[in-house]
This record gives sequence, structure tokens and C-alpha cells, in this order.
Amino acid sequence: MTELLTSPLFAITVVLGAYQAAVWLYEKSDRLVWLHPTISGALVVAAVLALLDIDYHRFSDAAYWLTFWLGPATVALAIPLYQQWHLIRKMAEPLLLTLIAGAAFACLSALAIAWLLGGSATTLLSLSAKSVTTPIAIGISESMGGLATITASAVILTGIVGIVFVNITMKLCRIDDDRIWGFCLGLSAHAIGTARAFERSPVAGAFSSLALCLTGSYSAVFIPLALQWFR
Amino acid sequence: MKVSGILTLLIFHLLGEAIVRATGLFIPGAVVGLLLLFFTLLIRGQLSSGLEQSSKTLIGFLPLLLILSSAGIFFLGEAFSDQWLAFAGAIVAGTILTLVFCALLMKLMVKPND
Repeated sequence: MTELLTSPLFAITVVLGAYQAAVWLYEKSDRLVWLHPTISGALVVAAVLALLDIDYHRFSDAAYWLTFWLGPATVALAIPLYQQWHLIRKMAEPLLLTLIAGAAFACLSALAIAWLLGGSATTLLSLSAKSVTTPIAIGISESMGGLATITASAVILTGIVGIVFVNITMKLCRIDDDRIWGFCLGLSAHAIGTARAFERSPVAGAFSSLALCLTGSYSAVFIPLALQWFR
Repeated sequence: MKVSGILTLLIFHLLGEAIVRATGLFIPGAVVGLLLLFFTLLIRGQLSSGLEQSSKTLIGFLPLLLILSSAGIFFLGEAFSDQWLAFAGAIVAGTILTLVFCALLMKLMVKPND
């Protein structure tokens, strides 16, 4: 029985089931932000693991067949990027300036707040790449002495906070332009933000994908340099 | 969903991974694959319907693919318990501030409908 509980069949069934339940709940609640499928689905999976006393890492390994598709799905972001290229090209300058200032702000604001709240050096290092998509973030953080598990969680929590607060903050700043909406969300909240941006419109999704790639590549260079300077 | 579209995505992902391994780049193979595919599309100037369809389907499944890593946040362990305030505070406040910062910055530079 234990063997079945850590099999790919069980793991993938649970994740798909959690997703289906999460989508149903999200639609039923008239798309309440707190119930976004990424959040409520994760809660359902965590509840199942806790109830059946299954080790998260073993479960995660078993569902590899599913998470494998994150790679091709990332490559697939090239298509909306290509389709919206005529819009992106016209805005190259503001996009690049926002990237340079915004990605630096994302890293430094997290470090400053964590430091003020008494975070340890490891916590600070693990937080520095929070706005960067997970594989790049783990690479950056580990090279600086952060911990992969904390980094991955920091990235995920950032994505969740991003999709929960995007509507409120954009309304507050009086932003209705899908290009700005998408780029800000992709820069702040990487893949989770990008998944959410596609729900708004293809344009928002493309600008979010662009921000996701640019923030990842830029941060891979910027964060190690900035942290070296701080030491 | 056509196999040809999925095959294209897999080939570009594979190319990206190969380049990362050959050069020791710091960027994930999938991101390199994304950039390669993007430039290929720009150069060719056309997009097959199979690739467009596969891309749409996979992107639509992104929330599903992210559920499992999101659940990992509940399994950080006891050793981390005294760090939760700094950790969560920095992420919640930092992310909201970053959204506002970027939005205001872009609003300054981008004219509506230009």
C-alpha cells in the first residue's frame, strides 16, 4: 500500500484531482483571488499529504511525469511573445528601464525588509531571488549560500502574493493598460504571475512572459554582483 | 493537439538544455529554448497552427503544473520556524511594493495607446 501511495499513478491522480477541485471552487466563487487554482490546488495537495502522512519530496519525485511539462510550457511562451512582438518592440525603452530598476527593487526591498524584521543571513540570501522563476532562483541563491528549499518557497509565496494583490495595486495606481499590467506582474511574480496574466488577456500574458524571461536573465547577473558588494 | 507542435517545443527545450550544458550558462535550458524558438519564429516570420495550438494548451495548464511546487511551502520544516516573520513579511510587503513601484514607473514612461 505504501508503495502505491508513492507511485506516479497516485501522485499524478492527486495533483490532477486537486486541480479539478480547485478550478471548480475558483469558478464557483466567481474567481475570488484567494482561491486561484495554484493556491487552492496546493492547499488540497498539502492536505492529502498531511492526512496520509506522505513525504513531500518522495511524492514530488513521483509526480515528475507531470512537472516535466513545465520545461516545454516555458518554451511555449515564445509563441505569445512572437505574436505580440509588434507591441513589445514599440515599447522597448520603458520596458528595459522598468526591468533594470524593477528587478533590482524586487531584490533589495525584500532584503531590507527581512533584515529589519531580524531575518538570518541564510534567510536573506534565500530571499534575494524571490521574484525570479524557480530554476534560475535556485541557481542564484545556492551560488551565494542560500538554501534551495527556502528559495523555492520564497519564489512560490512571491508568486501567490503577486496574483492576490495585482488587482488591488493596479487599481490603486490607476493602471488599466494590459501591457503594463502584464509586465509588472511578470517582473514581480514570474511564472505564477504569467499564468494569471494569460487569464486576463493574450497581450497581458505576452508582456508577462517577456518580463519573466528578462527578469530571470538580468537577475542572474545582477543579484550575485549586488550581494558581493554588500558583503 | 497535434504531435508536431509538441515535438517542436521538445526539440527547442532539448537544444536549450544542450547549450546550457555545453557552455555552463547560468540560465535554465527551457529559457534558452524559449529564446531560440522566439528568434526562429522572428526569422521565419510565420507560425504553424499546430505549434500555436500546442503552446496555447500547455500555457493554459501552467497553474496545474505549478501546484506541486506551491504545496512545498507547507513542508519547510521546524528549523525554519523562527524565520517565518522575516520571511513572510519581506515577501508580502516586498512584492506589493515591487508591483506598485513598477506600475508607477511604467505609467510615467508609457502613454496610453501609443
